[in-house]
Amino acid sequence: MLTIGKVIFKGTDIIILFAACALTVWLYSTFWFNSTQQGEAEALLVQFADNPPTEYSLSEERVITVEGKIGSSVIEIKQGKARFIHSSCRNQFCVFHGWLTVLGDTAACLPNRISIRLKGAFSDYDALAGSQ
Amino acid sequence: MKLHFTTNHQDHRVALLAALAITIHIIEAAFPSPLPAVKPGLANVVTLFTFLRYGWQTALQVSLLRVIISSLLLGTFLSPTFLLSLSAALLSLSSLFLLQLLFRQFFLHKYQPSAIGYAVIASITHMSGQFLVAWYFFIPHPGLFKLLPLFITFAVILAIVSGIITQLLINQIQQR
Repeated sequence: MLTIGKVIFKGTDIIILFAACALTVWLYSTFWFNSTQQGEAEALLVQFADNPPTEYSLSEERVITVEGKIGSSVIEIKQGKARFIHSSCRNQFCVFHGWLTVLGDTAACLPNRISIRLKGAFSDYDALAGSQ
Repeated sequence: MKLHFTTNHQDHRVALLAALAITIHIIEAAFPSPLPAVKPGLANVVTLFTFLRYGWQTALQVSLLRVIISSLLLGTFLSPTFLLSLSAALLSLSSLFLLQLLFRQFFLHKYQPSAIGYAVIASITHMSGQFLVAWYFFIPHPGLFKLLPLFITFAVILAIVSGIITQLLINQIQQR
């Protein structure tokens, strides 16, 4: 039992709090610092709305124009990196996001409903993408 | 035709608590929040208090009334927001119910957590349930999971605050 002022933390509360902290740490380590995400990004997935994503290899340099909900988005692939270089949306968050360099990096244009993501040869996230 | 309802003490109690929860919910909706889905959740203080003091049936009625009526007042009835809110309310209440059942049936009653423990558990189920519903039905994109740790962090911190408020409320009422 731990008493702070008028508040009493019972033993069970402290156990629950520890478990909650452990869960939070586990979530950070899984989704932010995922060890299975290590490796080289090999392809770029471009997805419009709920359609299945289209895959582009990162090894060849190219500029892709995708038609979205409100207009077109232009995506550039260069030296194993990818970025939005133009978008029809107002805020331009996707363009300001800059280069996607590391496996698992994601950028999205919500108004245009287009998202891009770097994919590796084997990545955990593909299992999730497959279940959509 | 004249309709006549007879109401009992229980109905009055549910109405009073629901009105309180709806008021808090609507005031909270007016405040801007740094992240979507992160709200102090003070309306859940009322639900938790009702659950601990009057049992799960009353808490279920109060929380359903809160979700439905406040969505009607805010204009989000049957919208995605409403579905998120409803599923989260039902999930967190069932987690409270299971937790209480667990301590009543299998563990010693004296080891039962205080309102703080209950609030943390309810808040985590609330947030993760809502998150999974949002991910499954509305934004089925794996990138969404990068937000989950952040949401859970806020959920735990805010739950401790609302748990302390609930516990102080219960202590105050027991003293009378």
